[in-house]
Amino acid sequence: MAAPTAKQNSAFFAVIAVLVFMSVGPVLLMFVNSFKLDVDIISGSTGLIFLPTIQNYETALCDVLWYEPEHLDFCALKFGGAFINSLIIALISTVLTLIIGCMAAYALVRFRFMGRDTVSLSTLMVRMVPPAVLLVPVFGLWNNEFCLDRDGLVGGAIREAFGGRGDVCLAGTHSGIILIYVAMNLPFVIWILQSFIVQVPRSLEEAARVDGAGPFQVFFKVVLPLIKPGLAAAAIFTFRIAWNEYLLASALSDRDTKTVPILIVNNMSEFNVEWGVIMATGMLLAIPPIIFTLLASRQIITGMTAGAVKG
Amino acid sequence: MPTIRLDSLVKRYGDVEVLHGIDLEMADNEFTVLVGPSGCGKSTTLRMIAGLEDVSDGEIFVNDNPVSHLEPKERDLAMVFQDYALYPHMNVAQNISFALRLARRPKAEIDAKVKEVADMVGLTEFLARKPGALSGGQRQRVAMARALAKDSGIFLFDEPLSNLDAKLRGQMRAELAMMSQRVEKNMIYVTHDQIEAMTLADRIVVMHGGYIQQQGTPEELFKRPVNKFVAGFMGMPPMNFLDGEFVERDGEIFVSGQGFDVRLEGEVARKASSHGNKAVTLGVRPSDLSFDGAAEPARSLTLDVLVSEYVGAQSVLLCKCGAAQVMVEINSETPVALGQTLIFAVNSGGIHLFDRASEVAL
Repeated sequence: MAAPTAKQNSAFFAVIAVLVFMSVGPVLLMFVNSFKLDVDIISGSTGLIFLPTIQNYETALCDVLWYEPEHLDFCALKFGGAFINSLIIALISTVLTLIIGCMAAYALVRFRFMGRDTVSLSTLMVRMVPPAVLLVPVFGLWNNEFCLDRDGLVGGAIREAFGGRGDVCLAGTHSGIILIYVAMNLPFVIWILQSFIVQVPRSLEEAARVDGAGPFQVFFKVVLPLIKPGLAAAAIFTFRIAWNEYLLASALSDRDTKTVPILIVNNMSEFNVEWGVIMATGMLLAIPPIIFTLLASRQIITGMTAGAVKG
Repeated sequence: MPTIRLDSLVKRYGDVEVLHGIDLEMADNEFTVLVGPSGCGKSTTLRMIAGLEDVSDGEIFVNDNPVSHLEPKERDLAMVFQDYALYPHMNVAQNISFALRLARRPKAEIDAKVKEVADMVGLTEFLARKPGALSGGQRQRVAMARALAKDSGIFLFDEPLSNLDAKLRGQMRAELAMMSQRVEKNMIYVTHDQIEAMTLADRIVVMHGGYIQQQGTPEELFKRPVNKFVAGFMGMPPMNFLDGEFVERDGEIFVSGQGFDVRLEGEVARKASSHGNKAVTLGVRPSDLSFDGAAEPARSLTLDVLVSEYVGAQSVLLCKCGAAQVMVEINSETPVALGQTLIFAVNSGGIHLFDRASEVAL
């Protein structure tokens, strides 16, 4: 190939600059605005000249701070609680999705059973339905159908332990949201992992069987380590979807189980939009997925450098 | 070491039967090679012994115990795969010790065993490396070491050398031959390469089309093939076949065909005279023909030399005899020009006869 000329280079860099601006710009805007007072934001005297303040972060984190911020007389925003809810829901649903997904994908790839192709295809069909379509039936089911009688043995015990009124239903619980996230993400994870498992040579599994491994040992000691990059990719996707999801969580959560995206939107009211606080919570909301993605993508890279599957 | 016996082993995929009742006995501490062209069922047979394929019919006995219902791990065997099947996420030591770790042997024992087999195959320096950082030959050794570490009585090889380049293959073949003498195990080796079969085997089993064609020592197979397939498969360059008929003249029997008329002598003549069918195929190995201008016409072939392939000390001449092609292996020093018509004497004992219809040796 001929060496690229200077002209090509400058055009190339221009495109890159535009792309970088497009992707980093909004984040930068959010970052800068999170340190401004609402007056500064709305006044429109844009620019970078303003008095930075951590007031917005104090407001956002008021329920977890060890001191009481001066500018607040009442801590209305329960960011800390919502953050923990988000973490619980996103992490547990990711872990569950991966565990069920990798086993299902393995079975779909390796075992021959009746209806295998149908199952394989229908896992994708679930993905084709928009979440909004799911919302109405799920809301009904979670509120009215999948309930334990409060006078029953288990339901009674739960009411005894956690308090509350009415029958014990899935709606408004962590489990209810986790369940729907797992169902929503599972098809995609199965689909992604299938393509990774197909690449694991059958002879590796056969060698492990001859070496004395049972079916589960073959899966956990040979197949699973080899599809680590796939697991990491799937984990990033599921975690991000679970972390960002708004629609289902807004309908299925209650005051105690709401996640951060719901909390942020609750900050907007008809009369007042607290931009500064929204920006600050937005920044805080962005941190866990970044950390998670960095950790998980390291697995992808080590998987690739390990020469992956080709022995 | 255990003995293995296959009793009318059958393999079907749906309605297609690929193995038609294989009967085979492998004696104690014997190196058996299953050889045959692609699709002859040799790998399937091996995989059935390993327990990686189900047995459709028949039974496999190890020490007279039926094992066909057992999982591979319950069969006391080790296997070397064609693509090595090394675990890419484990280093060499972990690969070698995988079976031992699964069996939960004590750590000291595992370490000692890994060191021992690594020494044996010359891998001691590479124990910490991942398979991805090894060359083809080294990977082959790891696969061998992994099988050796298992200490099982039966050793299965599924075309272990076919992924190596020619030079390395020869070298590994020699090492394998040395190892097989040192290690007391019952070895079964599958290959499509008849040279590997000839050099390694105590006993060769030639398979074709899902049937065992012939089994015996390399020498038996080479000198007394039971049919045309075995005769053509064993030996390089392959045996020449010329279609002809028995003709009786002056009380002697000749095989006569396009461009040749060879008199039969001794044992061969007796067999020929008692054989009912006149239509036969004459088989002569390229190495059983020798350049001799003064040879008796009735004990020689007159051939037109088409091509000479120089391969070093020996040359292979591609010649024409009537419509058929005949290969001759001669010393490269022999002065031969292309296009010449030359006389080649047939060595006594170099004549093989096959019934043309059934292809069975007389």
